[in-house]
Amino acid sequence: MDPSAKRAIYIQYIVGRLTIFAAAPLVLLAIKIAGYRVKNLEAVRKKVRRLMSEYPGPWLVCANHLTLIDSVILLWAMAPVTRHIARFDQMPWNVPEHMNFNRQMLVRIACYLTKCLPIQRGGNRDAVLSILEKCAWILQQGGNLMIFPEGTRSRTGRVNTEDFPYGTGRLFLNTPGCRVMCMYLRGEGQETYTNFPAIGERFHMDVEECFPRTRLKGLRAQRDCAGQIVRHLAAMEAAYFASL
Amino acid sequence: MDKQEIFEKFIELIREYVKEADRLESAEMGTEIIQDLKVNSARLVDIIIKVEDTFDIEIEDDDADKIKTIGDAVEIIDSKTRVTQ
Repeated sequence: MDPSAKRAIYIQYIVGRLTIFAAAPLVLLAIKIAGYRVKNLEAVRKKVRRLMSEYPGPWLVCANHLTLIDSVILLWAMAPVTRHIARFDQMPWNVPEHMNFNRQMLVRIACYLTKCLPIQRGGNRDAVLSILEKCAWILQQGGNLMIFPEGTRSRTGRVNTEDFPYGTGRLFLNTPGCRVMCMYLRGEGQETYTNFPAIGERFHMDVEECFPRTRLKGLRAQRDCAGQIVRHLAAMEAAYFASL
Repeated sequence: MDKQEIFEKFIELIREYVKEADRLESAEMGTEIIQDLKVNSARLVDIIIKVEDTFDIEIEDDDADKIKTIGDAVEIIDSKTRVTQ
């Protein structure tokens, strides 16, 4: 990867590290003001902590996608603010859609400080590949990365197992030692995709490790592994609805 | 197989992935597969896998990443089929 791109990531990491003392409590405050709750928060945090202490990384954190702030809710649910501050290195990088990232200066700053690398989905192929290259490099350095394997918010409100990109499989296969943590997040009142969850929403969240395996090679292997991850999320979703 | 034949075969091969098939009528070597034909990146990977099967060649990640236009695909297919002949 281009040395200037590596330098930019280092600088972003250091600036984020220095400001996480302010950024994390502010994000928590915003979540509290919105009244968001995760009903099994302690169990989720315990499981994430156990997985990350058993294996420090690289983790590819793969979640379903229904709202623009899924990654914010997921990050808050993964660990308490104190842990985000103490273990900023474990906090996953994530890849928001450039249009969402770019809407307001405050959002841009918040995203920059919380390890976001904006991507323009369906945009210039070189730009997309450049972000994927950065993601791969972060994973290869032992960093963690949060990604939405469906590529976009599900238009049906259910995990889309038919039409998804294969970048997740590529990142997984190109990172020796990479492990996959699947997260299923759903607001109890969330019927389909929206920009934001409803104020006061209560979320269900599950965390499971997924073990993609393939005997295929090249692009077929990427497609196979990405499919296994998406289907794992779909199975978590099915378990959620079966439990209602 | 010359480049024109590869071009024609490639056009037939991608037809099912192009949402507006009439865009293919004016397709040429410089036509961008994602931007002009509105094929998404995942389907582009499906196309490349289908190209591998159809032409009995293997396309590495780096080569796959270089495919932006129909001409790029034709060039890679042409070079790979020459090697395997």
